[in-house]
Amino acid sequence: MEKARRNKLAIFIFMLPAVLLFSLIIILPIFMSSYYSLLNWDGMTKGTFVGLKNYMELFTSKSVNFPRAVSNAILLAALSTFIQLPIALFLALVLARGVKWEKTFVSIYFIPVLMSTTVIGQLWLKIYNPDYGLVNVLLRSIGLEHLQRVWLGDKKTALIAVFIPLLWQYIGYHMLLMYAGIKSMSPELREAAKIDGATEAGIDWYITIPLLKPVIRTCVIFAVTGSLKAFDLIYILTNGGPAHASEVPSTLLVSMIIGRNRYGFGSAIAVSIIFLCFFFAIVIRKLFKTEEVV
Amino acid sequence: MRKTLKRVFALILSLVVAFALIGCGGQNTASSDDGNATTQPEPSQSGSPSQEEIKLTLWSISTESDAFHNAYTQAIKDYEEKHPGIKIVHETFENESYKTKIKSAVAANELPDLFYTWGGGFSKSFVESGKVLPIDKYYTEEYQAQLSRAALGNATYGGVLYGATYTTPISLLFYNKAMFDKYGLKAPTSFDELVHVCRTFLDNGIKPFGVSVKDTWVLAMTHDALTLKSAGPEKTAKAITRNGVSYNDPDFLASATKLKELIDMGAYIDGATGLSNDEACANFYNGTVPMYITGSWMAGSIMTDAENPADFDVTPIPVINSNNAKITDFMGGAADTIMVSASTKYPDVAGNAVFELTRSISKYAYLDGAGIPAWEVDYDDSSVNPITAKIAKLANEATSFTLWFDTLMEANDAGEYLSLLQQLYVGEITPQEFVEAMAAQLES
Repeated sequence: MEKARRNKLAIFIFMLPAVLLFSLIIILPIFMSSYYSLLNWDGMTKGTFVGLKNYMELFTSKSVNFPRAVSNAILLAALSTFIQLPIALFLALVLARGVKWEKTFVSIYFIPVLMSTTVIGQLWLKIYNPDYGLVNVLLRSIGLEHLQRVWLGDKKTALIAVFIPLLWQYIGYHMLLMYAGIKSMSPELREAAKIDGATEAGIDWYITIPLLKPVIRTCVIFAVTGSLKAFDLIYILTNGGPAHASEVPSTLLVSMIIGRNRYGFGSAIAVSIIFLCFFFAIVIRKLFKTEEVV
Repeated sequence: MRKTLKRVFALILSLVVAFALIGCGGQNTASSDDGNATTQPEPSQSGSPSQEEIKLTLWSISTESDAFHNAYTQAIKDYEEKHPGIKIVHETFENESYKTKIKSAVAANELPDLFYTWGGGFSKSFVESGKVLPIDKYYTEEYQAQLSRAALGNATYGGVLYGATYTTPISLLFYNKAMFDKYGLKAPTSFDELVHVCRTFLDNGIKPFGVSVKDTWVLAMTHDALTLKSAGPEKTAKAITRNGVSYNDPDFLASATKLKELIDMGAYIDGATGLSNDEACANFYNGTVPMYITGSWMAGSIMTDAENPADFDVTPIPVINSNNAKITDFMGGAADTIMVSASTKYPDVAGNAVFELTRSISKYAYLDGAGIPAWEVDYDDSSVNPITAKIAKLANEATSFTLWFDTLMEANDAGEYLSLLQQLYVGEITPQEFVEAMAAQLES
């Protein structure tokens, strides 16, 4: 073993497939996209080099309204960090305490993650249907007719109506990560605190959560980058409409490349999404690090 | 240590570069193959019996649930019987995903021998990329007599013919005659009459129009038609194809304002922004709303989906400005096109098959009530349903056809148009801002 580790050729040979795959599937396309983003190109004929014009249009064009798409994505990221993750954490803490039917509940909360997003999308389309949808029927039956809306078609409610299923879907995913984190902690810590007279809530707040920090950090990164990349559910529910009200960068990207044949411009959006994801991932790591030092 | 690392790194880099080169090289050789294929026609001529079986692949959007599916199947059967030794493999795809598929097939040089596409702006870049075969020399006198050059306008690029068509769909105002009769109304021929009809229905608590804004092309059908009836065919076509006419013009502002007028008076069904076309149509078929503006294909659906097909009738879209447009000017025309790949192994066979197939599809689709025939009707058509027959008559007497904006325009302009139309509907922009934004897009 020792010998093999010192053998550089062996390391090289064993690493080669992974490195090759990684660079061909991830690194190379990023560089190619960066190059395409400098072209005015329809994906078929020969593109012309236009420098940073696509990026300038991205941030100045009123009809594309990229800043709005980004702010929608950031709002989604904030909501998932401050609403989705606390709910997931609460569920994980309660379940890890060992309630009755613990395993059953874990499975139930995880079901939305297992379901295909298309199925979830169709499900929520029916829930929001203005005629026979669950939401409007419920409002009608309790006498709140005036609150009925075309939830996905009203530009005031479309964004939030799309975010609710998005947040709901991944609660189970984060819960499972945190639940596993809590379960892997040594039970002696808990018992020792109990003997010293700590309450259940006190144990959670002062012992479990601080120890869970690495897991929470991972969850925050997943939640934020996942929000910036969110696509499928939004595409099914509203496709970014009405009039860009629920647009996020990835739906804009697809409508530009597929709908309008603007590969160069779409690539500029793709590069911006990559940049945003890296930026937030680094910021989150930094935030958690400074906290640890203090 | 560092030296080895450097060497490893250099090796990886050179490998990556090598792969990239192989990738690019592959494309180059493929495209030069194309060139050979077009310059050296295969010896086997169409019709002549050849030993080996010729196999042509045809892509279309006529899936089994599509109204044209039967026509395609019959046409292929007829063709294969008439041309022994030639087999046509028909592969079908769902409409929206097909748009993506065909674009990537062009980019990757993987087009089938024959493929369905939309004429006008949609296929412009395909033709420009040189992946489509010119078929002028296969458009023989026999075919010229039965399919007019005018019908092929959208398949002609720079004076060269690249495809053939089988149907000339048009936009119309479908209405529920039973509901009209109940309130003593008749089909409107001018915009004022249309407003009167809408008022009457609204006064009786009925939403006059069904529409889908989520599927914005449905709303565009209305706006396209109003624009045509306001500005006239030539001016409209010139403005939206960047041909020297500005969109910022009183005639275009008039149509946007009229649309806004209908929206503001509450003429459209509630929740149109959240309804898909299918959901909105269902409200028309079941008698919730009395009017729907869409393409002639609705005639076939009324027969199958409405409880009482005899209640329905159809009429041309009312005129806004009679100085510019006539009641017989129509939005629509032959966009459905079959083209031949430049890389087909049998250009002569495929070039001839395009016309043979479209002629048969035209016939069978009309007899099914699925489409308005683009080819001459030289057969008995008394079995066709009355609405389709009426549309065929209207199309036959048409003074002009203007292709729908989102097909005629280049893809990027079309996307912007639909997006602006949605904003106009929800009240985010005014008609004036709409016209200015359209002009800005078309002049960029």
